Amino acid sequence: MNAPETTDKKPSPRVLVFACRWCALIGADAAGRKKTELPASFRVIPVECASMVEPDSVLRALASGADGVAVMGCHLGGCRFNDANHVAVKRMEALGDLLDTVGIGRRRLLLSFGTAHEGHEFAEVLGNFLRELGPLPELTRWRKTLLNLPAFR
Amino acid sequence: MLELIHSIREKSRELLAAGRVDGVLCLARDRFDVVQPRLILRAEKTGSIETSPKWNLAKLALRTLRRAGPSFRLAVACRGCDERALLELAKRNQFDPTRITLLGYTCSREQAESCLCDRPYPEKPAAGEKIEGVDPFADPRVSALLTGDEGERTARWTGLLGRCIKCYGCRNACPICVCTPCKLEDDLWVERAVVPTELIPYHLIRAFHLSDTCVACGACQDACPVGIPLLALQLVMRRRLRERYGYEAGLEADRKSPLLMDFDHASPAGFELPAWTVSSEAPHER
Amino acid sequence: MPGVMVFLCRCCGRIPPTVDLLALGEKIGREEGVAVVETRDTLCLPEDRAAMLRSFEESGASGILVAACSPYGKAGDVVTTLSAACDGDRSHVRLVDIREGCAWIHRGDPAGATAKAGDLIRMNLGFLRHGKRSADAVVAVRPECIVVGAGSAGMAAALSIARAGHRVHLVERGMGGGGMLKLLSHVYPTDAGAEEKLKPSLEAISAQPLIVFHAKTRVVAATGYAGDFKIRLASGTGETNLHVGAVILATGAGVWLPRGLYRYGELKEVLTLMELERRRREGRESPRRTVFIHCVGARCPERPYCATICCPSSIKNAAWIKRADPGAEVTILHRDIMMPGAILERYYRGALEAGVRFVRFAADAPPVVSGDGKVENVSVFDAINGVEREIAADQVILSTPLVANADNAKLADLFHIGIDRYGFFREDDPLHPLETRQAGVFICGSARWPVASGDAAAQGEGAAMKALAILGRERLSARSLSRLPEGKLGHARIEDGFCSGCGNCVAVCPYEACALQKVGGALVSRANKMRCRACGSCMSVCPNGTIQMPEHNARAVGAMIRRAFSPREAR
Repeated sequence: MNAPETTDKKPSPRVLVFACRWCALIGADAAGRKKTELPASFRVIPVECASMVEPDSVLRALASGADGVAVMGCHLGGCRFNDANHVAVKRMEALGDLLDTVGIGRRRLLLSFGTAHEGHEFAEVLGNFLRELGPLPELTRWRKTLLNLPAFR
Repeated sequence: MLELIHSIREKSRELLAAGRVDGVLCLARDRFDVVQPRLILRAEKTGSIETSPKWNLAKLALRTLRRAGPSFRLAVACRGCDERALLELAKRNQFDPTRITLLGYTCSREQAESCLCDRPYPEKPAAGEKIEGVDPFADPRVSALLTGDEGERTARWTGLLGRCIKCYGCRNACPICVCTPCKLEDDLWVERAVVPTELIPYHLIRAFHLSDTCVACGACQDACPVGIPLLALQLVMRRRLRERYGYEAGLEADRKSPLLMDFDHASPAGFELPAWTVSSEAPHER
Repeated sequence: MPGVMVFLCRCCGRIPPTVDLLALGEKIGREEGVAVVETRDTLCLPEDRAAMLRSFEESGASGILVAACSPYGKAGDVVTTLSAACDGDRSHVRLVDIREGCAWIHRGDPAGATAKAGDLIRMNLGFLRHGKRSADAVVAVRPECIVVGAGSAGMAAALSIARAGHRVHLVERGMGGGGMLKLLSHVYPTDAGAEEKLKPSLEAISAQPLIVFHAKTRVVAATGYAGDFKIRLASGTGETNLHVGAVILATGAGVWLPRGLYRYGELKEVLTLMELERRRREGRESPRRTVFIHCVGARCPERPYCATICCPSSIKNAAWIKRADPGAEVTILHRDIMMPGAILERYYRGALEAGVRFVRFAADAPPVVSGDGKVENVSVFDAINGVEREIAADQVILSTPLVANADNAKLADLFHIGIDRYGFFREDDPLHPLETRQAGVFICGSARWPVASGDAAAQGEGAAMKALAILGRERLSARSLSRLPEGKLGHARIEDGFCSGCGNCVAVCPYEACALQKVGGALVSRANKMRCRACGSCMSVCPNGTIQMPEHNARAVGAMIRRAFSPREAR
């Protein structure tokens, strides 16, 4: 990981990470032990399993100031909870469709199932996400943008 | 059209006269000549039954069943969308499906086009001929909403959803939304007493909760006083479920939503690592 | 003193150069609900830990937040100590990782790291405000066990449990014990006779008063959970109801018949390994020229797996034929030889030395058995030497894999465990190979994957030890049914009166812990604490948040989400 460029005025995107404590949280820990440099704009919420993350929480996070949300779980087939993460990945994928429709874009929802149990993989997956993600447009702070669009009928 | 009404009236009369049901929930003309949903309990009253306008009766049927005693059997004269909504409600254990007799009738081409309905008929129509549905994505009213890059979409939907006056009409009209309390009334998810509402939580939580149960009846946008095209949000998720899992809400009574099932349950052939997950690992089998 | 005590750890100066603990402490001190902020050098050292514990206990604060290293480091132990001081209740204790998760990965951005540490602490303060604790459930353990299947694995399991002093019901659908060993003549790698091997076990079982043998019996119904299963057995003479504390499934596997392959069923000299074993048991001699064909119906699209037992068994028989008659011509046609481990490798070398010939063929060019009315010849393309070989043969032995029993699916349904796509019982995860997704239901032997009789017995004993860990207790608490030293996170809890009975949690629960029940005329969901493993799937599909994991409830997580990012300056 390169050190963040301090000259860059652009604030790095704010990302809320839901990390399964059986893999991604271990990856985050390992990345910390290796002292891998990452932008300081992400926050980790440990969860028992990725399937514990409500899609509503993802939406709530996007509305509460996050530019992106990462849901990181064990690899598919390696869930501690009898494939509960399969269900999570399907749900989150459906949520991605909804985010695409309204223009937030599924790219703001990082689904990582499998790689994040190693420190370097955690840093790589999250680092790429942080690097590529721009700030979320003023979708929640919409008050000034009441456009005069035609009605449906 | 007239033939369809007569057929529904006749079938309702037969059901009531034979005592096979205790009431028929339908649209009917009252003594002021106003058409509205009514519960008809006597066979001789079935002459007042009407089939239009489009009026979703699923939630009313549920309420009727709940208010009446447990032995009350109800017939519902309704359209295809209501049939699917009732099936979804039955799947969610909201009523005992053996208590309901469906008198489904098909919709006209005109109605299907106005609703953008791809399935304007019940599975087993009691009256009317099945006509081919409309592909909603071919219609400019929907396709225009789904074009553009992220910026354009954001601007479009910010404008559209920004009109919301948070009347909860979409939720109340939805035949599937039955929870009490509702997350949309909880400060945890959607701040109350803030109008216009927060855009993402209110609309997207509501839309996502229906991702695998929406039957595309359009009641939400019919109810919307400010004309937000809410159905377009659902159509995309519905199409995706159909493409990916071959699942459509309201069709199969014994199939649970794929969003509640793991990959092994969804496909007997096992699973492959889906392309949409970020992972460097190869698919592996068990 | 109301409020939360916040302890910041300096970690001997490994946190401060990046995270400004002075500024952080000041900022956190102003937060609502914070009673005291204390900064210490090394919270993991006994002195600091004791001092922290003492000041927490003396203060009577409502909660404690420790900002230190990651839970996988020393801080995990600190939290365990603190939870123990709170009577095991972790809802008052919160650990914030500001070392691995903050100071060490943001060394280039001290301001950002300090802000992040502040946000992380605020998030967890919010969590502490809403964190709850699940009530535990305790059941009285029935000190009996049922073992289904009396093969090598089942007999070993039953004997182990009986020797530990518990009553065992050994259920067998056939007449007597022995399972697949009864069909074999000798077993590899010892070449001991199967009967001699079986005899001591059978005698021990009939001599053991604690073992109740149910012959010609099947399991027809099962309800309950770890410590308290109710099971109904059916046999020709009637039904029996059992009430047991643990279940061991050792139903074995079946033999696959290669109908239509290599002219099996058409030429009577084309046999399966099992048929050869029977002939060997009956003392019949083998003809002079024998060809073995491996991987018949295995490692193919329908059964892509290697059944692991077929290579050793066929090499066992090949070597036997060759040793009994050194003039015999014995050829093994194989795709790969699967003989793992030092013992089996030696066994394979032994067969080579005895003079068994090995010819490798490719999966897409299988051998062809020819002959008119009887086996005469096997032609095969030797994949190593690249030549077509014609091998004269008097008999052909097909080495076929074991396949799952057809009633595995039914048993899996009864006990709410999983089966894999080939029909074998599924282990819970690779680190717990004898456990299933239902606590108290264990699997062993070929029912979980084809194994040799010795391995099956070893697994049976292993499953017995797992079962004894339950049977040996008088009472079993739901919280203890976890592989974590600190116990299970909690149990799903359903708010009374708010459940609409939609069944989402029932459909999604990987452990079938949720079930719909009729309460006052309406269906509502109920979560079984003994089955729940606290994955939280249910809470993420509940449309109105009625079902919650108290330790990780939506309000606590919502508080974290809302505090995750302090308001950004106008941009």
